[in-house]
Amino acid sequence: MAIKISKNTHSDKVLSILLIDDNPERADALLKALQHSRYHINHIVSSGVSLLKQVNDLKPDMVVIDIESPDRDILDSLHTLSSFNPKPIVMFAEQEDSDTITQSVKSGVSAYVCGNADPSRVRAILDAALARFEDYQSVKQELVSTKNKLEAKQLIDQAKRLLITTKKMSEEEAFHSLRKMAMDTGQKMEDVSKTIISLLNTIK
Amino acid sequence: MKNMTNRTLKLGFVPLTDSAPLITALKRGYFAELGLDVELCPQNSWSTLRDKLQSGMLDAAQLLAPMPLASTLGLDGAKVAMKVPLVLSQNGNAITLSKHLVDEVLSLNKLSDLPFPMPAKLLQASVDKRKKEGKEKLRLASVFPYSCHQYQINDWLRQANLLEHVDVITLPPSAMAESLVAGMIDGFCVGGPWNAKSVREESGVTVLTSYHIWKDKTEKVLAVTELFFDQNPELLIRLVTALIKACEWLEPQINRFEAARWLQQSALSDEPLDTIAPSLLGSCITQATKSPQLVPNYNRFMSSIEESINRPLDIGQKWILTKMREANQISISVKSIELDKLAVFENSIFDEAMKRIKEAQL
Repeated sequence: MAIKISKNTHSDKVLSILLIDDNPERADALLKALQHSRYHINHIVSSGVSLLKQVNDLKPDMVVIDIESPDRDILDSLHTLSSFNPKPIVMFAEQEDSDTITQSVKSGVSAYVCGNADPSRVRAILDAALARFEDYQSVKQELVSTKNKLEAKQLIDQAKRLLITTKKMSEEEAFHSLRKMAMDTGQKMEDVSKTIISLLNTIK
Repeated sequence: MKNMTNRTLKLGFVPLTDSAPLITALKRGYFAELGLDVELCPQNSWSTLRDKLQSGMLDAAQLLAPMPLASTLGLDGAKVAMKVPLVLSQNGNAITLSKHLVDEVLSLNKLSDLPFPMPAKLLQASVDKRKKEGKEKLRLASVFPYSCHQYQINDWLRQANLLEHVDVITLPPSAMAESLVAGMIDGFCVGGPWNAKSVREESGVTVLTSYHIWKDKTEKVLAVTELFFDQNPELLIRLVTALIKACEWLEPQINRFEAARWLQQSALSDEPLDTIAPSLLGSCITQATKSPQLVPNYNRFMSSIEESINRPLDIGQKWILTKMREANQISISVKSIELDKLAVFENSIFDEAMKRIKEAQL
């Protein structure tokens, strides 16, 4: 396995890239293009299971891979492992293919595709991929938190309704008793609601 | 028949023994008979096959049955609605363990011979041993997170309550044999010819097939994007017709050796015939010193007894969705009612193709 390290002379933050490419000329071109940049490249060829070890050891900030590499499935599956933090993945495809694929992945999945390494463009492409990935992550996090809030509201409403029907409380009383229980036990209102729902449903 | 289109239809696949219907349709001239100019496009990974189908670089693809569902639900990669107009095969996978692990299983369980199919509970002693010695968990590989292989490993291990005690990772099919030899994994679930390859190399022992875990369930499907499905009904009817004819041709065992030869000459040219042919002939080779096991439905492309196994039915779709749920791949916030509404498996094209085949036979 060939590991080449590119020199980086100046940068605000060094970003480590794992490059998986079986085409040595293209890999060399990329290494050259990124000399004296904030990107620090570790190059490996398609390697099967040892890729997992590489990712584990090197903890790259970004992965650049040939779209035709058999290792793509390993990389794709990493996203299903909780221990693996999401990373931007840049894919190299033949020039004529890249526009089509880029359009399909625009929606913000892990992959960003660009054509054959053009030294003058490569830095800009990596910068853009990174920026887009960060945007996507924050949108995703926002979505998750909105969803959580919505689920919490649904739980609280359900617990309130149960208290109203089974304990003959008014809506206000139900809300206050949930809030009091939450404060007394130091729990969140949705957690208290969950307990109430399961309790009242068992008693019924 | 006159040429259907003035363009080439690109059909993507990952080369495996159960790619036989695609190769057969080409070699037997069924595509040409239906006026289709089909180019078979082998791919090195399931994710790239998916991306190329989603983006329209490929018109159609032979996919793992869960993949079009994952794409439609947006679980993996981009969210692109897909349709499955044809089921291409059932069964076809097997679990192979390293020779080293099998020797350990035999000695820890004080057995002289391994039963076939092997129950997962025989792994218990090895799991316990690793835990006691503070060693890493047993590690098995499947070919893709959204694959029947993954769920078959899950179900096999679940029978013995071992699912939590074994790591399951993803590797491309062609890397399995090599990774087993290198000791990176203790076993894998994969389609042919990769189980037979490890057996021939005497590095692995095939302990059961997917038929023993899930009897006769959908394995590979033909998939297209919903957009392609809506825009090209006639083209799709012809493509499905040609592939049904190929599955029909593959049903009698007498034709299977020819199919093995064609695979060896095209999609699997790096692999010898003695690893490709056995499963197609209903023979599961398990280890070098033992006689093969008879598994008639090891690779099933059609059945003359059952109502067509190739018809994409809701019940087949439900089975896979259930397995995806059990693997925690579908968030609990997705309601069952939403899944019930999914119509990825869609039998209208298949029914029209069958009607035409029957009419032509009159």
